Amino acid sequence: MKEENLSSKYKWCTLVLVITMTVLLIRLWDLQIMRGAEMRKLSEQNRIRVKKIVAPRGIIYDRMGKVLADTRPSFNIYLTPEDIRDFSQTVDGLAKLIACDREEIIEKMKAASGMPPSFPIKIKSDIPMDEVARVEAHRVYIPGISIQIEPKRNYPYAASFAHVIGYVSEVSDEELKDKKKHKDYSPGDYIGKYGLERSYENDLRGVDGEKRVEVDAIGREVRTLDVIDPIPGNSLHLNLDLELQLSADKALETRKGAAAALNPKTGGVLVLASRPGFDPNLFASGISKTDWQKIALDKLHPLQNRAIQGGYPPGSTFKILLALRALDLGIINERTTFSCGGGFAYGNRVFKCWKKGGHGSVSVHRAIVESCDVFFYNVGLKLGVDRIHDFGNTLGLGRVTGIDLPNEQKGLLPSTEWKKRRYNQPWYEGETVSVAIGQGAVWLTPIQLAMLSSFVAGDGKNYKPQIVNRIVSTEGKVIKTFEPVVNADLKLKPGVLTIVKDGMRGVVNEPGGTAGASKVQNVLMSGKTGTAQAGSDKVKLGDHAWFIAYAPSDDASVAMAILVEHGLHGSSAAAPIAKGITETLFKVKTVIKEAKANENR
Amino acid sequence: MRIDKRRYYHLDWYLIINGLLIFGIGLLNLVSATSSFSSGSYNFMIKQLIAFAMGLVLIVIVMYYDYRVIANHSRWIYLGGIFLVVLVLIIGLAAGGAKRWISIFGFSIQPSELMKPILVIFLANMLYEKKRQNTPLSLKDIAKPLLWTLIPFVLIVKQPDLGTGIVIILVCFAILWYIGLKKSTYAVLFGVGAISPFIAWHYLMKPYQKMRVLSFINIDADPAGFGYHAKQAIIAVGSGRFLGKGFMAGTQHKLQFIPEHHTDFIFTVFSEEWGFIGSVVLFALFISFINRCLKIAMNAHDELGAIIAFGIASIIYVQFTINVMMAIHLAPVVGIPLPFISYGGSSLLSMLVSVGLLLNISTRRYMF
Repeated sequence: MKEENLSSKYKWCTLVLVITMTVLLIRLWDLQIMRGAEMRKLSEQNRIRVKKIVAPRGIIYDRMGKVLADTRPSFNIYLTPEDIRDFSQTVDGLAKLIACDREEIIEKMKAASGMPPSFPIKIKSDIPMDEVARVEAHRVYIPGISIQIEPKRNYPYAASFAHVIGYVSEVSDEELKDKKKHKDYSPGDYIGKYGLERSYENDLRGVDGEKRVEVDAIGREVRTLDVIDPIPGNSLHLNLDLELQLSADKALETRKGAAAALNPKTGGVLVLASRPGFDPNLFASGISKTDWQKIALDKLHPLQNRAIQGGYPPGSTFKILLALRALDLGIINERTTFSCGGGFAYGNRVFKCWKKGGHGSVSVHRAIVESCDVFFYNVGLKLGVDRIHDFGNTLGLGRVTGIDLPNEQKGLLPSTEWKKRRYNQPWYEGETVSVAIGQGAVWLTPIQLAMLSSFVAGDGKNYKPQIVNRIVSTEGKVIKTFEPVVNADLKLKPGVLTIVKDGMRGVVNEPGGTAGASKVQNVLMSGKTGTAQAGSDKVKLGDHAWFIAYAPSDDASVAMAILVEHGLHGSSAAAPIAKGITETLFKVKTVIKEAKANENR
Repeated sequence: MRIDKRRYYHLDWYLIINGLLIFGIGLLNLVSATSSFSSGSYNFMIKQLIAFAMGLVLIVIVMYYDYRVIANHSRWIYLGGIFLVVLVLIIGLAAGGAKRWISIFGFSIQPSELMKPILVIFLANMLYEKKRQNTPLSLKDIAKPLLWTLIPFVLIVKQPDLGTGIVIILVCFAILWYIGLKKSTYAVLFGVGAISPFIAWHYLMKPYQKMRVLSFINIDADPAGFGYHAKQAIIAVGSGRFLGKGFMAGTQHKLQFIPEHHTDFIFTVFSEEWGFIGSVVLFALFISFINRCLKIAMNAHDELGAIIAFGIASIIYVQFTINVMMAIHLAPVVGIPLPFISYGGSSLLSMLVSVGLLLNISTRRYMF
């Protein structure tokens, strides 16, 4: 009995051992054999982090090789969701360490919810050194946090180049959704949003590198497994000139307006300034909500590049276009005169000349120099709106000029066909009278008027405006050079250009010329003022001031157009800016000259 | 000290070699498990070897006295054990939120570990008369042993050291079963066993213990919190695959993904580095060792020896099974060391004292 009882106990024990062994082995088989590969992968993911090494963005230089945009190191905070142990501990802890809302952090994490949990999410860019020190000191207590040093875009001249260079900012959700165009981008990456940064994004960006590192359970890097070096972006060398730009920008700084200056021999853009502006550095370090709202809701529209996007009636500067066309067609010649009595009756309306007493009998030369309206009312009627439209279009007016910036506006140069299409109405000749002096349905951008100026300066030839001269790799190899592209090359009737150029030289240099006050010492500058009515007959706003110019008069190396919104008079508001640009370009030092003159006295 | 030479011939070399193999594997594994610690694995290995040497001395002492003599004094040994456990609650050293250690002569020992073999001897001494009479135990008969088990159980769980508490209770039941229970006793015990989880859940368990159970049921409920350890543990074991990553090549423990990987979770280190093959060998060694303990119990000279040997077999079985099951997510996370393998002097000493008792019983099996 006793032995029997005992041996039955041992049988039970053996059974228990066998069952235990079976259960454990089945489980081990399941984990190690059936799911072994999956578990191995998980353990690899656990320990290996792929860290992006952001490629330094290409540097942007002016034509003299001065840096207009470069990159500097910045400290950025990242959060790796996988490494977070206690969500609120980490989020609250981080919010306390860096000046950042809890909601802002959560929002950033939500935005990256489509990425794998081992993907670090950028929480804050370009944090100051004291925050870096604080985060470093507390990192152990907030698992998941890491600080990475990354290149950050830097714009040393801030607002002065904001509209040309543009800015980079973090890629948006909408951009990421466009998988075809942005397949190489992931949340937190920077992308050119505006200006050259956007037009030349693919050249500037470079190729990001990768570093595979082994990390421990709290995300500390234990060792580096391998590194793929980033390929830095290519540099842009611009036709833009730093000093000229700063001169124009300084003159515009307190006003609204734009300046565009071209090299008439190549179409290279020397100046492209627009005010008001904004500080692109704000965008590059992750713009705050308040800063963004301040810029976006500003009634002065600082985000509009007036030089290529602002449409304005060209006023009297438009007369150059009419003079060229009428002379070329033989409608008028050098000796053709019209009598100006201070007004021009057409239909049941009297169109006034700006000079109340009238200019008397005026030829084309005097009409340009003194900007006689009545002369051009007559010329305009003889030409007709369609011939004005077609000629202007050829030169680059009323259409996009093709400058290498995004979102250029084409403005408006009316025609009978346009009126029919737009309003389903015939064109009235009375409207041509207004158009003849650059009023009515004419809306042109400063860059387009610079094209007109360039056409005269270039003796009947102008080029597509081009900001970037060449793209150069970090090794100094020229990847691409932008050769001048001819926009219009017309064989005008002999003498036509001489007449118009004489007129434009007279505007600045002859007694009675509308821009006589902007005469430049030692350099002969030619130009044409414009004062365009702004607003409607009911709402009177200050007139827009225009000045188109080129210098030197005989062999121009710069052709420009200046606009000052509500600047009242072209002669007093716009022409001095052109004078400043010319002086800067030709190193005319006004102050010193004046001092010498005093000595001689 | 006079040692009967005859006993050498009867030494259980199977048990000794089997035990040494497990300990050797454990020592090797410990080197890898502690290699990522700042103090280095050498330090841990030396401490473990010192404990082993002290354990060998204890084996000799334990073997010198007849286990029946030891059993005769079991009440004093038991009281001594209880005294130490109480001492822990008063002057214990805290680590990781629990007071489990006391410092004696510069060594920190964990009395709850030593309580396991002590309780086995104590219960065996109390009950072997019943076993000899071969009368199944009634409810009244089991009241006394249960009470004497519950006293250290409560004290140990208060530290808190739930793992050791569970081992003590399970071992007590195993011994009662081994002696034999009346059918009515079985019925009552099963009834109590059925409702006790609810009572434990509502009145006894601490929030973190409940979380461990919950995250055992659903590992993904809280992958960053309590489920984290369990998840990282099965990743470690699973990633070992068939042949393992190789000695010192485990990444899960080395990069600190697994907490307590040199003590309670040490099986994950072994399984990650030695794979399925290594684990099967280790399991086989344990099963063989436990089986050998049972053999000693079966062939013991008297019921007292049989009960002690069986009790020790059940300690090793319970610890081995729960520890491995916890590592492969078949049991909730609970602090129970893997015998001979986990780092810890007290655990090793307790195991070696047990081995001493087993050898004591096996060498005296032919005595009359």
